[in-house]
Parts: sequence; C-alpha cells; structure tokens
Amino acid sequence: MNAIEIRDLRKSFGAKQALCGLNMTVPVGAIYGFIGENGSGKSTTEKIICGLIHQSGGNIKLFGRDHTDADVRARVGVLIEAPGCFPNYSVWNNLMLQAANLSIKNADDEVRKVLRTVRMEGAASNKYKNCSLGMKQRIGIAMALLGNPALLVLDEPINGLDADGMRIMREVLSDITKNYQCTVVISSHILGELEKIATHYGIVRGGKMIREMTAEELEAGCRTYVALQTKDMNRTKTLLGCKYSRVVEENGYIRVYDAESPEEIVTYLYENNILVSEITTDKIGLEEYYIDLMNEKEVR
Amino acid sequence: MEKARELKFESPDFIQRLKGMLGVDFYRLFHTPMYYIFLAIAAIIPAMILGMTSIENAEGVVAPLYTNTWQIVAAETPLYVVSDIAEYANMNMVFIFGGIMVSIFIGHDYKSGYVKQLFTTHAKKQDYMMSKALVGAFSMACMCITYLLGGVIAGLLVGASFEVNVISLIFAVLGKMVMSLGWASLYTFLNIIFRRYFGISIASSFFFGTGILIIGVAAIIGNNSALNIFLYGSSVYACLSATAVSFIICLAVSIIWSIIYTVLGTKILSKSDVY
Repeated sequence: MNAIEIRDLRKSFGAKQALCGLNMTVPVGAIYGFIGENGSGKSTTEKIICGLIHQSGGNIKLFGRDHTDADVRARVGVLIEAPGCFPNYSVWNNLMLQAANLSIKNADDEVRKVLRTVRMEGAASNKYKNCSLGMKQRIGIAMALLGNPALLVLDEPINGLDADGMRIMREVLSDITKNYQCTVVISSHILGELEKIATHYGIVRGGKMIREMTAEELEAGCRTYVALQTKDMNRTKTLLGCKYSRVVEENGYIRVYDAESPEEIVTYLYENNILVSEITTDKIGLEEYYIDLMNEKEVR
Repeated sequence: MEKARELKFESPDFIQRLKGMLGVDFYRLFHTPMYYIFLAIAAIIPAMILGMTSIENAEGVVAPLYTNTWQIVAAETPLYVVSDIAEYANMNMVFIFGGIMVSIFIGHDYKSGYVKQLFTTHAKKQDYMMSKALVGAFSMACMCITYLLGGVIAGLLVGASFEVNVISLIFAVLGKMVMSLGWASLYTFLNIIFRRYFGISIASSFFFGTGILIIGVAAIIGNNSALNIFLYGSSVYACLSATAVSFIICLAVSIIWSIIYTVLGTKILSKSDVY
C-alpha cells in the first residue's frame, strides 16, 4: 500500500491548465522531496491532496482510500503556505483550538508534546503575531503534528528562513521522521536541505511528473566529477575544454564532469606543462541533478 | 508494509466534531472584543432612540415617537408596511448588527487561514455551517437581551409607560430570539457565497438584515400574513400582540430557513475550492 497514489491528476483554473495528468506514488514511511520550479504544479497538487481545492480529473488515494474520506483525513497533517492561526491568540491557545477541532483527548499533553518537537516550549505564551517567520513555520508544523498524523504535507517549510532557522527546522524535521513514523511530503526550492532528509524524490514540471526516484537511485544516477586547481586556471580550462565536453569553473575550482579518472587529467595536464596543486573527485548533488534534468528537457 | 498494516483510520462522529467546532467558535466569540462592542451597541441603540425622541424640540414641544416603552421592542401589531421610523425601529434592528458581526466573524476565519487549517482535517462543511449559525444565533439572542435591557432602562429614565400584556411581550421577545437562528444561517450562507469579498459580505448582510425586500413587497401587496414565511416577516410577526401560535410560527420559520441555508451553504462549500 502507498501513502499517496495519484493517477492522471488534472486541474485547470479557467483556461490555464495547472496539472496535466500528473502521476505520483509515495510509499508509506517515505520522506518525499517534491521538487519543481515556481508554477510547476507542486502547491496545486498539495492543495488537492489536502482537500483545499478540487481536481478537474484523475484519482487520488491516500493509504488506499479516497482522499476525501473523513477517516483518512483525520490523520493528515498539513502546512500549506502559512499556518492558519489567529494572530492575537497565544501559540498555546492556537494549538489548543486546533486540538479541539480535531477532538483530541488529553489535548494539554498532546500540545506540550508537539511544542517540544518543534522546539517551541518556551514560546507557548507568545502571541502568534509576535513570532518570527521561523517560529511561525514551526507552529504550523506543530499544528500539523496534532492528532498523530500518518501523512504530513509540508509546503516549502524552509523557504525564507535564515541559517539558524533552517538549522532548527532541519533538526525538527529529522526528529519528526524518527519519532512520528509518518510519511512526509515536503516541497522546497532549497534542494541542498531537502537532500539531507529525503528518501524519495518527485520532480514535477509543467503540471506533469517528469521523474520519481529513491535517494539510492538519485545517488546512482548522479555523475561524478573531478574538481582541481592549478596556478594557471584559464589555460587549464581551455586545455581541458578541448578534451572534455563539460568543463565548468566554480568556486575557484575547475570541474570536469566526464573524465574517466583524476589520473587521466593529471597526466594530460602534466604533458602540457601544467602542475595540479589540488584535485578531488565528488558526485553532483540533487541541485545539479535537477538543473541537468531541467536543461535536458529544455533541449528536447 | 508492516507500518501500513498498523495504521488505523477513524474520525470522530458528528457529535464530537460539532462539539469541538462549537468549542472553538464559542471560545473565539467570548474572546473577541467585537462581540462585547455589539452587545453594548444593541443596548445603546434603543436607549438612544427612546431618549432622543422624548426630549423637547426647538419649539419646546415634546412629541415622543413611542408612547410605551415596549414599542421599542416590538410593534403593537404586525406591520410589514412601514410608514414611519417608529414602526421600523425595534428589536429587529438587532438582526442588522448581528449580520455585521457574523460577517466579521466569518471573514476572520478566511483572513487568518483558519478555514484552510480546518478543512484539511476531517471537518465537514456542514459542521462548519452549523457551528457558525449556532454561534451567530447565540450572539444575536444575547443582543436581543441587551437590547431589551437598554430599552427598559431608557424607558425608566424618560418615564415612558410600561403597560403591556406580559404574556404577549414574552412571546414577542422569545419569538425574536428564536428568529436569530434563521438570520444567523442566512448571514453564514451569504458570507460563504461572498467569502472572497469581505466588503460585499458585510454589505449584503446589512442589505438583507434591514428586511428591505420584504418591506418593498409589503408596500405592493399590503400587510399580508403570507409574508410570515420569510425571516423578516416572522420577525415582525413577533409583536406585542403575539401569542403562543406566533412563537411557534417564528420557531418553525427560523428552523426551516436555517436548514435551507445550511444545506445550500454546505453544497456551495463542497463544490467550490476553499481558497
């Protein structure tokens, strides 16, 4: 059984087609990184999954049931854009109100637990309107965690956060995946952060899923590259450019993407009287993989 | 797969859901300054009208619009056709303030993102409609009480007569209070239709709350008791000559319209995107 199974999802807003037959499969227990550029259909898909907007066509199953089924909805936690909180109420009261809506017994304990999870115990009495962006996002996650969700849908929870906010959020998300054992769908533009926690990925473009893969498949699919430094970077780049198809200078290093081995490059440069001062091999990350994939589709 | 087998899915039943939602709405109502402001307005308005119409004019003549304190609560007989302000200005005005209050209350649901948070859970649209209608009805019924108190105090201060058939007065006040449910359902329905346009929501609530449509129809067809099938008609019918039958009619009309508006509102919410 999959946590989410979407087939041929379509949604149009007037004449604009936002989703054109999107398919998506999220296994139970996965941390699913949902990636795509602005306007690609990520948020629309998430809003449909969460029951906020209706699809024009297609099927959505959550844990094998229709996504509108009240029983399954009771175990879906959501943070879409900003959390729905009353600005003049305290963080504690906002969470207690959501707990009342969810008919949670022992609401006090449950609220304390989620506040602990999102590192907000000390700020429970703060008014929501006085909280920082990072705190508000964590309150949204706390709200989504109420009621022991089996599925958590988080729409860009780390966007707009400063370095510290992002670090805390990373710890929070990591704790959630360990302690709540729920399936998580996270959409984000900050792919470097996503890469640290996701077990599965879905890349969407133009309202269609263009690739779904596991973290292992991504790892296997990511090409290795050789990064090096020499005293004459310009000449080195020109020379390597004659032999290899993709040579890029980035952060003070020259990256060669299609070399057989570092030894091959060192030998080649040595034959051309260039000494390599530093050399290393690495794999491209999710971000580069994504850019490659987008460029690939662009060319086609 | 192991995890999937362990997962249990069950949602609260209707009573639990409604209890939870009402709990939230009543908490919000009692913690909203606006509610107390409207209660105060409901008390001040009859006092002002009674007081101002009982003072001497420029010629030093006192020409009160009301000869009896209870006329500020309800008309002597059901007057659908209004010829002067005294025939119009009575407890029915509470339904205008109530409409504005319900509009602000529901508008805040959308502005804060509360509905978004609500409808991503097991919450049903019908529960939402019912909860808002019940809280709106409660707040308007409370306004009826403060209106009554304001009127009585002003009546004492200006020395107006308190002569009345007590039984009819009780039926009139209770009749108007039960009409709150129908009016609150109408306002909830209007606010669902215009949920993306806060200004139009308030304007439409005000427009319908004045009963101008029924007054207009009455101007054409006269004081016809058939108008009692409408909310404004029944509200007028709860007058100082009311009987148990008037009260039952008010109750029935209020409940029927409440059901109609709740069903229609639920359908609209279910068929449209939340935002």
